Amino acid sequence: MLTLLRTLRRLRADVALPAPSRGRSLAVRHVDAGSCNGCEHELTLAMSPYEDIQRYGFGIVASPRHADVLLVTGTVTTRMRGPLLAAYNAMPVPRRVVALGDCALARGVLASASEIVGPVESVLPVDVRVPGCPPSPAAIAQALIDVYET
Amino acid sequence: MTYRDRVVAMLDEGCRFGGLYASGAIVRTVLVAPGGALRLESVAAEDDRVPSLVDVAPAAGWDEREAADLYGVRFDGHEPLRPLVEHDLDLDSWTVPVRGDDAYQVAVGPIHAGVIESGHFRFHVVGDKILHVDARLFYKHRGLERAAEGRSLAEGRAYVQRACAACAVSNSVAYAHACEEVLGLQPSAELARVRTLLLELERAWSHLNDIAAVCAGAGLAAGNTFFAALTERARRLNDRLTGHRFLFDSVQVGGSSLSLDSAAVAAAREELASIAADSKSGWRELLFNSSFQDRLPDIGVVSAGDARTLGAVGPAARASGIGDDARSHADRLAYGLFAPVAPRRVTGDVQARLEQRAVELLQTFDLLDDLFDRPIDPSEARAGSEGARVGLGLVESPRGGTLCAVEHANGRVARVHLRTGSYANWPVVARAAVGNLLPDFPLINKSFELCYACADR
Repeated sequence: MLTLLRTLRRLRADVALPAPSRGRSLAVRHVDAGSCNGCEHELTLAMSPYEDIQRYGFGIVASPRHADVLLVTGTVTTRMRGPLLAAYNAMPVPRRVVALGDCALARGVLASASEIVGPVESVLPVDVRVPGCPPSPAAIAQALIDVYET
Repeated sequence: MTYRDRVVAMLDEGCRFGGLYASGAIVRTVLVAPGGALRLESVAAEDDRVPSLVDVAPAAGWDEREAADLYGVRFDGHEPLRPLVEHDLDLDSWTVPVRGDDAYQVAVGPIHAGVIESGHFRFHVVGDKILHVDARLFYKHRGLERAAEGRSLAEGRAYVQRACAACAVSNSVAYAHACEEVLGLQPSAELARVRTLLLELERAWSHLNDIAAVCAGAGLAAGNTFFAALTERARRLNDRLTGHRFLFDSVQVGGSSLSLDSAAVAAAREELASIAADSKSGWRELLFNSSFQDRLPDIGVVSAGDARTLGAVGPAARASGIGDDARSHADRLAYGLFAPVAPRRVTGDVQARLEQRAVELLQTFDLLDDLFDRPIDPSEARAGSEGARVGLGLVESPRGGTLCAVEHANGRVARVHLRTGSYANWPVVARAAVGNLLPDFPLINKSFELCYACADR
């Protein structure tokens, strides 16, 4: 355990991430509306020591009830439209929606038209758009920081 | 002999069920012989009906349910034929009835509490004890197989690749092999080497990710963060080598355009050696962390018999003592004299599945070190055999054997079917959960770490 912690401390020093400009926080709820799993894997690594989005005050929360931000990945499938709307409607106001990745933005989507509803903005009002297939952990971190300004 | 009799005879000879799909009015079944050869048996539906195989090959359960939902085939003898992809029917139609004193249901998903793909689990429990699980996936069904139809064989690759980022290389190589069989092409030695290399790069980041995931499932934040950092390094290396962190577009039908000079290859070798050394030291820390180790044994046990019956594949199957690994007989790849490795205890529990990843990871780093021994040049597949009506490819993905079948008409995709390691293993996850406590399900699930995307397609 000590070796793990020592290695992680050294890694954090090597990566030398800048300190956040000021203390803020946002609670984020992720919903996969029909992704290829790439955005999820990159979002997971946005929490690794190399990006460490927690340092900007972002936390992934278990319920939309606790969330300020709805982070949506994937093109919206017919089967996920209902659950996506339910999650959004469960959120307190004010709330923000981030469409993460090219599929969520209807760029280069591969699918049968009958199985999908469309991009996230065909279902919800989108505040921040993050292109990329998938967006890198650094791009995800920057997009979340941008939410502070919306 | 009838279609069913032929399949039964092959199963008796030791073949395992490899997949089943509908193609127009024909149902095709793929069997994998003990030596790795793929055998195809087809039957034409009469009045949309064909004989079911679930009684002789229970692993065909999901395949038949999918063919029924998406292609309208009815399977005589598969009763009740519960919906799988079809979500519009009521609860009783797709769940197994579980009744008894204090038995009730816990519905989880499709949206989960963490950063997890969408899928629904219906737990039948008494208190915290799980009696049965009905997994309802396909929330992410995008109709990728149908969308690929009519595309050129080269274009079709994008659809199987996009089925799942985590298995992009495995899916693409299985597809490329299937297409090359259709076209009568055989990969050159250099093409076999570059594809093997890409497959092992995918396995490296994936197994690192899976070890991190089990640490997260057991609540060991330091272990999770440590292995997440190594996963990040592996993905950055992918990006430097191929221009994409998930190795997208690095596999093509009929050839490879990847070119790496000796400096790039040496740098990759050095970084991989460094990641391997760090992962070994991190793994040793996990072994000596008693509170972590205490969470792993006897949880989510899959017996060898259940693994075989349900058609488990990949690390999950090997952790239960089913040694099958498609790398052992991959004549179109560069694995040489490959022999699967096994953990200290082949107990089919969370501990065995985790250790299986750890020992395979070491083997993968060794393979990569060998494969990166010289620069990589563009390469191609050459004419070597007669074309085939149906092309098949079977590749060992990080989650197990992934089968791709391709049928073409005038050089265009007439039908493509992808049956990934995750697809094969989802029914095994449901079985592994039975008898365990509901709060242990996330840990059990993490020990398989299956993709939803490449099951749903």
